[in-house]
Amino acid sequence: MQAVQMDRLEKVYEGGKRALHNISITLDQGEVFGFLGPNGAGKTTAVKLMNGILAPTSGSCRVFGIDPAREPEKMHQLSGVVTEHAQMYDKLTGLQNLLFYGNLFGLSDSESRSRALSLLQKLGLTDATDKKLETYSTGMRQRLSLARAMMHRPRLLFLDEPTSGLDPESTMQVNRLIQRLARDEGATVFLCTHQLRYAEELCSSYGLIDEGQLLAAGNLEALRNSVSGGTTIRIEADRFPMGLPVCSNNGRQREITVQSEKEIPEIVRRIVENGGNVYHVSAHRLSLEEIYFALIEQRGKKGGTSHE
Amino acid sequence: MNKMQLAIIKKDLRSITTNKNIFITLLIVPFVFAVFFPTLMILLMHFAPEDSMDFQKMLALLPSATDAADPTQEILFLFLNRIMPIFFIIIPIMAASVMAASSFVGEKEKRTLETLLYCPLSLKKIFQSKIIASFALSMAVSFGSFLVMVIITQLELFFTSGSLLLPDAVWAITMLLISPALSLIAITIIVRGSAKAQTVEESQQRSVFLILPILLLVIGQSTGLFLVSVWLLLGIGAVLAVVAFFFMKNGIGKPDYEKVMR
Repeated sequence: MQAVQMDRLEKVYEGGKRALHNISITLDQGEVFGFLGPNGAGKTTAVKLMNGILAPTSGSCRVFGIDPAREPEKMHQLSGVVTEHAQMYDKLTGLQNLLFYGNLFGLSDSESRSRALSLLQKLGLTDATDKKLETYSTGMRQRLSLARAMMHRPRLLFLDEPTSGLDPESTMQVNRLIQRLARDEGATVFLCTHQLRYAEELCSSYGLIDEGQLLAAGNLEALRNSVSGGTTIRIEADRFPMGLPVCSNNGRQREITVQSEKEIPEIVRRIVENGGNVYHVSAHRLSLEEIYFALIEQRGKKGGTSHE
Repeated sequence: MNKMQLAIIKKDLRSITTNKNIFITLLIVPFVFAVFFPTLMILLMHFAPEDSMDFQKMLALLPSATDAADPTQEILFLFLNRIMPIFFIIIPIMAASVMAASSFVGEKEKRTLETLLYCPLSLKKIFQSKIIASFALSMAVSFGSFLVMVIITQLELFFTSGSLLLPDAVWAITMLLISPALSLIAITIIVRGSAKAQTVEESQQRSVFLILPILLLVIGQSTGLFLVSVWLLLGIGAVLAVVAFFFMKNGIGKPDYEKVMR
């Protein structure tokens, strides 16, 4: 089943600022989707649109078949949201906060308590259970927000920069929890971040956004294919034939850009047949970061037209 | 009202009762109105020499509300059963105004509003929960003050004059109709203002400017009314109750997430 369907979604704020332009994305259930882009790219606006907190200027959005703009409360029952603007009550303890949000999502007192205690334990917050939120560090707050969003076992979890302010150990805890949630409970995760390396560790598919425009969407392989020359191979040889598409030349070491790794044997054969000795061949596949910057560059060349 | 709304109401009430500063402030006005004023009046009437009072002239102008031949008793009756009820219109509104004024903008300042908006309740239901929470507080303070006032004044009357002066129908109409209705209307207006405000201060100032003139007008006009006819008072109370119900159901208008979040 499709978890999210955005169709030519557009949001122009009062005052004329266009936050999202013609965004179309489809997400399958159980996917961990990374919505990636710099601050101010339109990621949070997309989350708000999918939760019915903002109404789209044009286009449509469906989450598990529900139109969030029309039935936001129905949609909220299915979703959990972690953003830096969605905080909890400083004067309540960690547990009291979770119990309140559990009740708010229709859980009974006993259900709320057992779910809260289990989440606090999974997120390493057991010691802080009865401490007031005002005494929590940024990282602890962030983890408690995640627990809060997961209280009612949402089918779709929106995480806006979930690991900002977290130390490496806490980041690992959060990552494990997100992965387990998608794998074991079939939940779909919509992760917004500007940390591309972090997203690469966690996500199964991506949407790259800049200035409200979707640059590309799909899994890593599809994204690599969407930029010209998805793979770079580094070859060390004592002689190279003429006509190889070399992109950098450092004497015996050369870098060649190819569309896929399938082209490597043919290149090596041409070098050997030409009398060259091959000392080293390694393929360097474009990282998410490199893909992102390549796409930004491509868009600049095309004059800013968006594509999926 | 469902369980989710109840969670918001309980949380809002707890945030007031656990904040000592606000809670003590909340109790000062009711204490002055419900304990200090009537005690002062009862003691004044008991200790002041009868021939030095100018109340006789005032009594002559007013329709006789009691069969008591004793002017002291008549004045006490007028004060306790005709003037004091007016204070009980002010008490619940004052008590609820702090909570109502911060209902939305307080959450906005604490950055908890967005979290609240992501819950599976419509914005209208969240509004209603906020209104009910403030209303519950206002009624708790109002009825609590009433109970304390009745116990203290009756004890004072018993020890000073040897007789009691129990609350009558005017009290019943005030406590059960007029005061709740006016509180509900005022709270709805203040909560709406809170949703539009940017800071708690702005919301509180707005509520004072909005509510105080209306309150003074109502009190100014109703002082005479309390003396005229119980039936007329009952009629006005019933009309106010209907208006209040309509206000709570529809006075919120069509709430919009974007406007509330701004």
